[in-house]
Amino acid sequence: MNDIARAPVRKNADQPPVLVYEDVRKLYGDFVALNGVSLQVHKGEVMCLIGPSGSGKSTLLRCTNALETINGGRVLIDGVPLPVQESAVRKVRQRMGMVFQSFELFPHKSALDNVAMGPITVLGMREAEAKARAMALLEKVGLSAKAGSFPANLSGGQQQRVAIARALAMEPEVMLFDEPTSALDPETVGEVLSVMQKLAQEGMTMIVVTHEMGFARRVADWVVVFESGAIIEQGPPAQIFEQPTVERTRDFLGHLGWNG
Amino acid sequence: MTFDWSVIWTHRQALLEGAALTVGLTVLTMLLAVPGGTMLALMRLSSNKLLQSASLGFVEFFRNLPLILVIYWVFYVMPMAVEFQLSPLVTALVALVLNISAYNAETFRAGINSIRKGQLEAALAMGMSRRQAMFKVVIPQAGRRILPVIASTWVSLFKDTSLVSVIAVSELAYSAMQIRAQTFRVLEMLTAMAVLYWLMGYPQAKLVDWIHRKYGVKE
Amino acid sequence: MEFDFSPIADNWRFFASGLGVTVALSLISAVTSILAGLVIALLRLYGPGWLRPVLVFYIDSMRAIPVLVVLVWMYFAFPLLVGFTFSPFWAAVIALTLHIAAYAAEVIRAGIESVRPGQTRAALALGMSRVQLLRKVLLPQATIRMLPAFGSILTIAIKDTAIATVIAVPELMHRAETVAGQSYRPVEVFTAVMVAYFVILFPVTRGIDRLYHRVAHLGRS
Repeated sequence: MNDIARAPVRKNADQPPVLVYEDVRKLYGDFVALNGVSLQVHKGEVMCLIGPSGSGKSTLLRCTNALETINGGRVLIDGVPLPVQESAVRKVRQRMGMVFQSFELFPHKSALDNVAMGPITVLGMREAEAKARAMALLEKVGLSAKAGSFPANLSGGQQQRVAIARALAMEPEVMLFDEPTSALDPETVGEVLSVMQKLAQEGMTMIVVTHEMGFARRVADWVVVFESGAIIEQGPPAQIFEQPTVERTRDFLGHLGWNG
Repeated sequence: MTFDWSVIWTHRQALLEGAALTVGLTVLTMLLAVPGGTMLALMRLSSNKLLQSASLGFVEFFRNLPLILVIYWVFYVMPMAVEFQLSPLVTALVALVLNISAYNAETFRAGINSIRKGQLEAALAMGMSRRQAMFKVVIPQAGRRILPVIASTWVSLFKDTSLVSVIAVSELAYSAMQIRAQTFRVLEMLTAMAVLYWLMGYPQAKLVDWIHRKYGVKE
Repeated sequence: MEFDFSPIADNWRFFASGLGVTVALSLISAVTSILAGLVIALLRLYGPGWLRPVLVFYIDSMRAIPVLVVLVWMYFAFPLLVGFTFSPFWAAVIALTLHIAAYAAEVIRAGIESVRPGQTRAALALGMSRVQLLRKVLLPQATIRMLPAFGSILTIAIKDTAIATVIAVPELMHRAETVAGQSYRPVEVFTAVMVAYFVILFPVTRGIDRLYHRVAHLGRS
């Protein structure tokens, strides 16, 4: 049982949670990807989802913005369940930003146009205004010099930072990161993580699926450990990384060479 | 306007013989064009610059010409090159083989080149001779890539045999159009021609799809 | 064995007009085939379920029937069904479009499906609608990736126009047959016309290759 004397205090616990997952189930044919996951995300919280590959972390993320549809349970955003109708779903997606492992920048557009595309196409913003916003965001991620470059001419770390700017251009309430650094060279991982850390310090609500335990330890407010489609443990980083209460958490971290 | 569809049945003998010749031409052409294409591909892949250029020239030439023109050209040129009179059938075969060999050459070359160089190097590093490496490692893998393309070329060839009708070879198209001219039953004969091609070609197209699914390489 | 190329020089205007018809027929057919192919591909990917087998049947049938057969049927047989005739040129346009659009539809469908699924996810995650996804992300990338295939459609169209000679379309091949027959110099005439076709077709394939190499990175996600 939990031998930390006081119960862990969640950020902004006095306010209702931004995201609530109630007993969420997801099946791919016979394979159970999510087996009744219940979780709450508070405003301004940086939540890291960790666990072995195939344990359901990325699936949960994709169910959050309805890129995958759930087979059971509910996902509530500000208390409202995810809608079913396509046009309503699009509105929800505009409130969330997603960053992918494979960056997925649009190759036929420059960095600036990639970042401005959301506001122009989806929000109907005027081109000049959208490009100004895009330029400011590229500045924020340190890539204003590369505004006119095309993705083929950017390194992986640069592409991912542009991808973060692209998601931020929609002014989302929540940022979803799906293994943002897994496809990067070790040298460029740092530049992306520091952008993410800066975002966290500014108070963005973030859900990050990651294998970067150092980042989770330093930056996360809450860490959730997945295995085989279920949550086996959750708590503040201090607990998870130093005094995990569940044997399998210890095993998982041990396998990664994490010794507290 | 009345239609008399019985003419099709009446002339079924000629139509079926035409269809048989269509198939025969296809088979014979491919039987000759595979070795032909192989030889051209090997020439292109060899280290001899002269052979390379000759092969490249030949392939580029025939891939950039309409087949119907090649058929006419061979029909008029061959009697000059060869002393004796050749039948339209042989002429047609020569034209088709020249054309399809060029396409096959390109297919073989691209297939072999698509196998990563590392495969060849790994085989050589094990101590295999170049010849062994090609035959045991590269060509079997290339074969998987090449087969679907050859299958598609086969179906194209099957359709292209209709073009030799212009030099009066009695394959299906020529036979059908001759009967049309004799009986004045235009719609009936032309529709029968289309249907007969469809009956033979549709299963072939489906077979090609199956081959692509089974052997296709997912990039 | 002497060669006499004078029939070609004497009739150059005749040949030139034939060349003009070849070019016109090729371009018109290529454009209409690609447009029709686009409609068919989109209907096949996003249209109603019952339409799909019909379209697949049409596409597969055109793979089985030679273009010669379609040309001849469209010019000689179709008028008997509907009561009015087409000129050879327009019969050829319709027949070639019918035949090549099937190929174009497959090319376009493959092109759209070849764009990485992650691109779809990224666009949807931004809140784009399916239509916006198609217009702004999938089709631009697919078009770039399909450039070589579009080039081959144009090449096929040019070669198929030569077959239109059998329905007496006055294109280059037909001109060649006429002059060869009148001058009794088939070898010279057909050789010259061979050179002409090569000179047209070779740059088309090479040009598309070069263009593709320059823009390929814009289609690679």
